[in-house]
Formats: sequence, C-alpha cells, structure tokens
Amino acid sequence: MSLEELAFLALALVAIATAAAALLVRELVHTILWIAIFFVDLSAIYFLLDAPFLGVLQLGVYAGAVTILLLFGIMTTRKRIFSRESATGIGPVPVALALVTFVFLVSALGELPPSTSTIATYDPTALSENLFGPNGPWLLLLGLIMLAGVAGAIYLVREGRE
Amino acid sequence: MTELALTGFLGLSAALVGIGIFGILTRRNFILLLISVEIAMNAAILNFVYFAAFPSGTHGLSGQAITVVLIGFAATEVAVGLAIVLALNRLKGTINVARATELKL
Amino acid sequence: MVLGVLIAFGEMLSPGTYTNVQITWLHLPPAPGPFPNGFSLVMGTLVDPISSLMLVVVTVVGFLVMLYSIGYMHSDRGLPRYYAEMSLFLAAMTGLVLANNLLEFFLFWELVGVCSYFLIGFYYEKPSAASAAKEAFLVTRIGDVLFLLGIFLYFSTYATAGPDGGWAANGFVFAHNSVPFLPLPGANTTTLTIAGLLILGGAAGKSAQFPLHVWLPDAMEGPTTVSALIHAATMVAAGVYLLAVASVFLGFTPTDQLAIVAVGGFTAFFAATMAVVHPDIKRVIAYSTISQLGYMVLAIGAGFAMVGLYHLFTHAFFKALLFLAAGSVIHAVGTQDLFRMGGLKKHMRLTAAAFAIGGLALAGIPPFAGFWSKDDILASVYSQLGTHPLYWPFFVLAFSAVFLTAYYIFRAWFLAFSGDGPRDPTLPAAHEGPWVMQVPLVVLSAFAVVAGLFVFVPGFQHLLVQGTVLGGIPPTYPATDLALSSISVALGLGGIGLAWTLWGNGRVFSLAETSPVQPLRRLLLNRYYFKAGYDAIGLRAVYPFARATDFVDRFVIDGTVRGLERMFGAGSDRLRSIQSGLVSDYAAYVVAGLLALFVLLLIVGPYLLGRFGGG
Repeated sequence: MSLEELAFLALALVAIATAAAALLVRELVHTILWIAIFFVDLSAIYFLLDAPFLGVLQLGVYAGAVTILLLFGIMTTRKRIFSRESATGIGPVPVALALVTFVFLVSALGELPPSTSTIATYDPTALSENLFGPNGPWLLLLGLIMLAGVAGAIYLVREGRE
Repeated sequence: MTELALTGFLGLSAALVGIGIFGILTRRNFILLLISVEIAMNAAILNFVYFAAFPSGTHGLSGQAITVVLIGFAATEVAVGLAIVLALNRLKGTINVARATELKL
Repeated sequence: MVLGVLIAFGEMLSPGTYTNVQITWLHLPPAPGPFPNGFSLVMGTLVDPISSLMLVVVTVVGFLVMLYSIGYMHSDRGLPRYYAEMSLFLAAMTGLVLANNLLEFFLFWELVGVCSYFLIGFYYEKPSAASAAKEAFLVTRIGDVLFLLGIFLYFSTYATAGPDGGWAANGFVFAHNSVPFLPLPGANTTTLTIAGLLILGGAAGKSAQFPLHVWLPDAMEGPTTVSALIHAATMVAAGVYLLAVASVFLGFTPTDQLAIVAVGGFTAFFAATMAVVHPDIKRVIAYSTISQLGYMVLAIGAGFAMVGLYHLFTHAFFKALLFLAAGSVIHAVGTQDLFRMGGLKKHMRLTAAAFAIGGLALAGIPPFAGFWSKDDILASVYSQLGTHPLYWPFFVLAFSAVFLTAYYIFRAWFLAFSGDGPRDPTLPAAHEGPWVMQVPLVVLSAFAVVAGLFVFVPGFQHLLVQGTVLGGIPPTYPATDLALSSISVALGLGGIGLAWTLWGNGRVFSLAETSPVQPLRRLLLNRYYFKAGYDAIGLRAVYPFARATDFVDRFVIDGTVRGLERMFGAGSDRLRSIQSGLVSDYAAYVVAGLLALFVLLLIVGPYLLGRFGGG
C-alpha cells in the first residue's frame, strides 16, 4: 500500500466519521465543529488529488463561509447557544433507505476497473482559462443564480412581513 | 507521481451520500437538514474532482471548472437556506420542520 | 404599426424580394402511405409584397382604431376585456398575414374568428348581441369547415407533386422560387377544382359573400370600433386575402375562376340592394362592406389578385373612416336609427366632413381613394370579358352596383347630417368626441383622400405588380379605360344626385303604401328572407339532431365522466393522507423514487434486455 493510498484511507475514514458525528451529536454547536472538520478534511482530499485551487476554494467557502453562516443561523434562532436538541427517534425506514442507496451505489462500482492509475494534474492558470473560456456560460449561470439567491434571501428575511 | 484507484474514491462518495440521506430523512432541525444536504452535495462535488483527476477523454479540466461553479451553487444554497431558517423562526418560533406543515391539504 | 409600415417601405424599395423565416414543427420521414415523400408541418413568417400590403392595413388601421377606442369606450365597464380581446385579435391578424403556409394560416384564421365572436358578443347581456355572436360564429364555421376540407384536399393532392418531388415534405410553404402549381403534372384537374371551390367557400364564410353573408349585418351588435376594425378593414378582408394568396400560390382552374367571379359580382350587387332601404346607419355600412368585398372577390376571380388587394387596401381606410364617423355619431346621439337623426352637420362639422369624404371614396368619385381601385377592378374585369361568356352578367351587376353604392351612402349622409335638426326631438344635443376620437378621423380622412394616389408612387406600383409573383395577369396602373371610368363616375354622381333629390336638406321620402314598389321594399328590408329561411332549416332539420346528440351527451358521455370522477374522488381521498406536509416525508418519497429508478436501470433493464435480446 503506497503512502498516498494510506493517506487517502485515513482521510476517507475521518470524513465518514465526522459526517456521521455531525448528524448524531445532540448539541448543535458541536455539530458545527464536526462539520468544519469534515470540510477541512475534504479540502485535504482535494490537495491529495493535485487540485490545490479547489482545495483552497473548499477551505475558504465551506470551512470558512458556510460554517460561519450555519453558526450564525444557530445563534439567531435560539436563546442559549449551548442547548441540546431533544432526541429524535430514528425509525427503521430512513435507515433502510439510506443503506439501500449506499449498497446500490457501491454495487454499481463493480462495473469499474479496480486498477490504479496516475492522477492528472492541472495548472490553475489553465483552469481559469477554461472557466472563462469554454465553460464561461456556467460561470454566468452561477452569477445569475447567486443574484437570484441573494434577492430571494433578502425577500425572505425582510422585516414587516406577515 | 501519485497513483490511486478510482473505486475507493467513489466508495467514499457513496458513503457520504448515504449519510446525507439518512440525515435528511431523520433530522427535524432545519439547520441539521441543511448540513445533511451539504454533506450529500459535497459527495457529488468530490465525484467531479475524482473524474477530473482520472480523465477518460480530453475534458478533464472541465471537471474542475464545474467544481468551482458547484461550490458557488452550494454557498448560494446555504445562504437561501439560512434565510428560510430565519423566516421560519420568526413565523413559528421554532426551526423544527415537523411544525411546518402548511403544505398539508 | 411603425414596424409594419417600415416593412412595407422596404418591400417598395427592393421590389420582388421576400423573406421567409421558419422552423419545422413536425417532420415525418418518407414512408409508404399517403405521403411517400414524407410530411412536415412548419411554422414561419413570410414577408412578401402581398403580405406587406396587408400588414400596412392591419397595423395602421389597428392603431388608429385602438386610439379611437380610448374615447369611444372610456365609460365601459368591460374596458380591460375589450382591450385584451382587441389585442389578441390584432396579434392573430398579424400572424395570419405573415403565415407562410396554409395550415398556419388556418390556425390564425380560426383565432381571428374566435376573437370576432368574443367582440360581437361584447355586450353579452344583450340577447341580440349574444345571438348575433353565435350566428356569426356558426355561419363562418361553415366556411371554416369547407376551408379545412380544401386544405386537406390540397395536402393529399400535392403529397407527391410540387417542387422537390413533394410539397408535403416541405411543409406546404408558399414557395416563391418555384413554378406555379397549376397546371401541374400528375395533379388531377377535377380534384383541384373541388379544392379551389372549397377554398372559395372558406373565403365566402369569412368575407360574408353570398350565400354566407347573413352574419355580417348582425355582427353590428358589437361596439362600433369592433365593426370598424374587424368587420370592415381587417378580418373580413382575410377571406379576400386568402383568395389572393391562393390564386397566386396555388392557382385556380377556369371553373373556379368563374365561380369566384359569380360569387363576387353577384354579392356586390345583392348586398348593395339591401343597403338601399335599411334604416340603421351601421348596417348600411355593413352591407356596403359586403358589397365592396364582392368587388375584390370579383377582381381576384378574373385573375387580378393584386387589383383586388389594392381595393382592399383603399377600402380598409375609407371603410374604417365611415365606421368611426358613424361611431362618433352614435356616441353623440345614442341611436343608430337614421330616421331619428338629422341636422347633425351643425354640431359635428368634423364628423360630417369625415363621413362625406368616406362616402365620396366609397362612391368612387375622383380623386378619392375608392375611385382608383374600383376603377381598376372594373377595367381589369372588362379586359377579361372575352375569357368566358358568363363573365358578362356579373360584370354588369357589379357595374350597376356603383350607382346603388353612391345612392345608399349619401342617403345615409343626408339623413344624418343635413336638415335643420333631429327628427326625433328627444335626442340629446350632439357634440364632437374627445381628441382621441378626432385624430383617427383626420388621419383616416387623409388616407381616404390620398390612398388611391399611392398608385402613382413607383415603389407602390412595383409592390402591386410584383405581387403577382407566380401567376395572374400583371395589371396596368392606373386603369387606362377612360370611357369606362367616365361611365362609372357618371353613375356615381347620378346616385348622389338621386339621394339628394329624395333625402337632401332634411327631406324625407316615403313610398305610398299602395305603391307597386312596396313589396320590393319589404323584400329588401327582410333581407330577401334569407335569415328566416336559415332559421327554418335550423329548426326543422338541425334541432332534432341536436336533441338526439344532447341525449347521448347527457346520459352516455356524462355518465362515463361522472363514474370516472367518483373513482378518482375516492382514490384521491386515500392519496391525500400521504400529503403530511412534513419535509422529511417528502424527502423519503424522493429517495424511494430514486431507488425505484435504480432498480429499473440496474435490475429490470438488464433482465429485459437479456430476456428479449434487445440492443
């Protein structure tokens, strides 16, 4: 087992563990902590895959902005930050559905060749050229959707609504 | 050069999607729902990065470009989601989605 | 409107050009059957000399009438409905003019028909308006069915013929770059004759030609602005436009031509006679519309499509003018009965002048618009009299209608405007309408004076000549037959003179009860008993049939529908319990659906493929 594979295995296990922990802990602020670790872990995987630009983006947007936003949401919606969620019963149906989905996805992996191969690396300059070149329309679409999202968000939280 | 197998990565994505779906189905707190959606979404984004790293054609770079766009989408989604959280909180005094049953006939 | 005029100017400057933009809506590949070369339906717009001429009429008159309506309809409760329906009508009419194939033409044709129905029945609380709307719809429907049958016949005839081995495969687009379809090798002349007659039937329904003319006078129940736009200038002209387009792009057989000439010539005279006695100002103008449309049909039948359209062009302006002037009068005095009006000249100078200009144009007095185009029609038809001996009687009928036209329109003018004061003293004091009603009158008056002179503009002349792209006889402009012109002008002046002697200066001419002409007058007032006859046919033959179908509808069809309704009602009661309103539940359904797709894709699909050995 190569060093890279070992590193990936560790990172993957951490990702699964933190994601599960984020959803299972009863205290919301702890959830935020776990999810922050999860995001940082994913960014490490990006670095491992030789995508440093995406890794930084993941750190900035997810581990930074999204986490803070979520924390902010918790702060504004409860009187005491450190208060526990009441326990919710976990019915058999959701667990079964999630498990079946997982099994199906993994079973579909059988179709792929299991061989290892060299990872393709890209220059961030090439990425930006691609982003403003052939994939430019997507960027425009992103801009439009962000605009619509901002407008919608402002409309939703506007004061004085019924 | 780094050598890795695609299957392992896809297995990680599958696991994360499973966790995300589990969270969406069981959690009643809106913020936890949002986090579940984010976990599932990150699994999808990861897939794009994998396929960019193991390109089968000439479009590998597009995978990374789309990832940038998708991260932007996800951020927008969280912003709108939190706006809904605030509106819900003001409307109902709680962010428990079990209380928001206006869609019921 | 500006766009329409610009397009027309473009056509004038570069004569003979045409622009066709289209998308394929449906394409069937070649296959054995009725369409061996394939079949396609396209939607597209075609701008060529013919349609640009119509476009000017539709947009300019449409704009002016909309402007006028602001004043005319201002106190009406249904104003939003009125403008919505008028806008829909204008859009449909523009689409009809720009349609580049028969099927698209038919779609818009139906759309203007239904708008006409809405607008005739605009005052739907009035039983007479509601029944007039129904009548208009049903009578034009007869024409529409004939038209549709005609389209089918053309489709099947040209399935294998036409350019590129199958007109059907190319979507029946009116083609400029091909030879005329007639005579076409492989096409059966009898079939084409029948198809042409069916098209004529459709046009007769829309343009209120004999024997489907009954609906147009009753359509005057709608607001006057509607009458001006739809039942004078544009929609009723669609039938004429259809004939023109068909004669240019499809071609008519000699038998068809004779039938068209017969219908047009007879209607021109027939409608004029009814206008002579009618006491209602709007219906007099309505009969004159039918009569003028008859002239256009006559010209097209004789092979001069563009002469017919030229008359359509001038007629649209002066007829809209007449209607709007009449509307101004009705707005002022609140009645449509000519015998209650009188002496309006003193209070409504502008309207009186506008009505007079429109009347002069209609009567064909030079230099007003109607003279040039009507004269062209008469001269053109005269030049073709040698083609068939039966052209003669219809030419004579149309020619004598000139006299009647001049008489009845000035009878209306003298009755309404001349004299000392209203014959019915209870009428309110007359006054002009607001400026939005006056401006269109002035503009249309200007058009009614100069629209005929357009023919001296080289570009416009080009437009007319280029309109006969594929077939037809290129006409000469202006008409060259001086003798014929003088006779028709003399007839027109004679008609005006007679009207003046009988009705001028507030005189009221009344026939003695014992006069031998009295039965004729009653016959005309009752419109030759056409309507009564149609009603009787409807009651005797159609009503029992309608009762029978109603029975089937109520018990068989409604019974089935109610049974289905109960079934779904019970089912949905059970289904609504799923609708818990909980986001998580909905998410669970989504995931379950996703899994079902997985199962289909990964298990059922391969199983079926393995079982049945598909690709």
